[in-house]
Amino acid sequence: MKVRKQRRITNDQPQLEMTPMIDVVFQLLIFFIVTIKQEDILSMLSAARPASDKEADPEKQPNVLNIEINKMGFVYRGTPVSRNLLERRLASIAEYDKKVSVVIRCTGDSPHRFLVQTLDVCYKLGLTNLAIFSM
Amino acid sequence: MAKVKKARSAGCDLNMTPMIDVVFQLIIFFVVTLKMTKDENKEIELEDGKHGPIIKEMPPQTLVIELDRRGRISIHNARMGADVLRDIIVGRVNRFRNTNFPVLIRADHRTPHREVKRVMDVCTGAGIWKLSFVAIQEHKANRK
Repeated sequence: MKVRKQRRITNDQPQLEMTPMIDVVFQLLIFFIVTIKQEDILSMLSAARPASDKEADPEKQPNVLNIEINKMGFVYRGTPVSRNLLERRLASIAEYDKKVSVVIRCTGDSPHRFLVQTLDVCYKLGLTNLAIFSM
Repeated sequence: MAKVKKARSAGCDLNMTPMIDVVFQLIIFFVVTLKMTKDENKEIELEDGKHGPIIKEMPPQTLVIELDRRGRISIHNARMGADVLRDIIVGRVNRFRNTNFPVLIRADHRTPHREVKRVMDVCTGAGIWKLSFVAIQEHKANRK
């Protein structure tokens, strides 16, 4: 009889021990806060790569914007230009015609960042007809 | 008897045990499925590209080719030569029966273009003409 009574009491009011559970949950929380790492937001710069070599020299084709990239930086119409100047030059063309095909010609020793910067400038100006040639 | 009733109405008599069970199940599920480390080459420093479209979620067919500053090729941080890369890409093209799965090139900003060209040549050799380069839209990770 005594036992039965005790049981009923425990069934009515389950005495759950909260303290260790809270400990564990806080441990987990702190673990996740500490280990979480912010990731860089990445962007994607696409370009076509035409079937090079066999095709005609892109410089001879009309309505093609040639940007040359070498070890030192950008060359536009035969003169070395800074990134800002290149952007301004391209902007003046992009105003009239966004469909113009841009051919980016890279030398083998040019660092990859110049190519990415050029693509980025083209994306900024809305030029989407991009092709990469390697020299 | 009256006393017991009063106590019941004052305190919430919610049975906590099943809720805790469920919550722990969820926690354990997330702990187990969490991917703590991304399989990517941490040494690669990307160039900024603030104007390109943001990569939100890559489709599962996406192929990310990593290229470090010395021109070493890797996929998911597993290094390989150009011929192995060619086999992988050709295998994928054959498996998917098309060439329009996205290919991202994650190249270091210092990589010489001839190394990038090598990778691009492998892709174009397999019939993939549209290539994308990964750049950083916004810095969030605190490095340097």
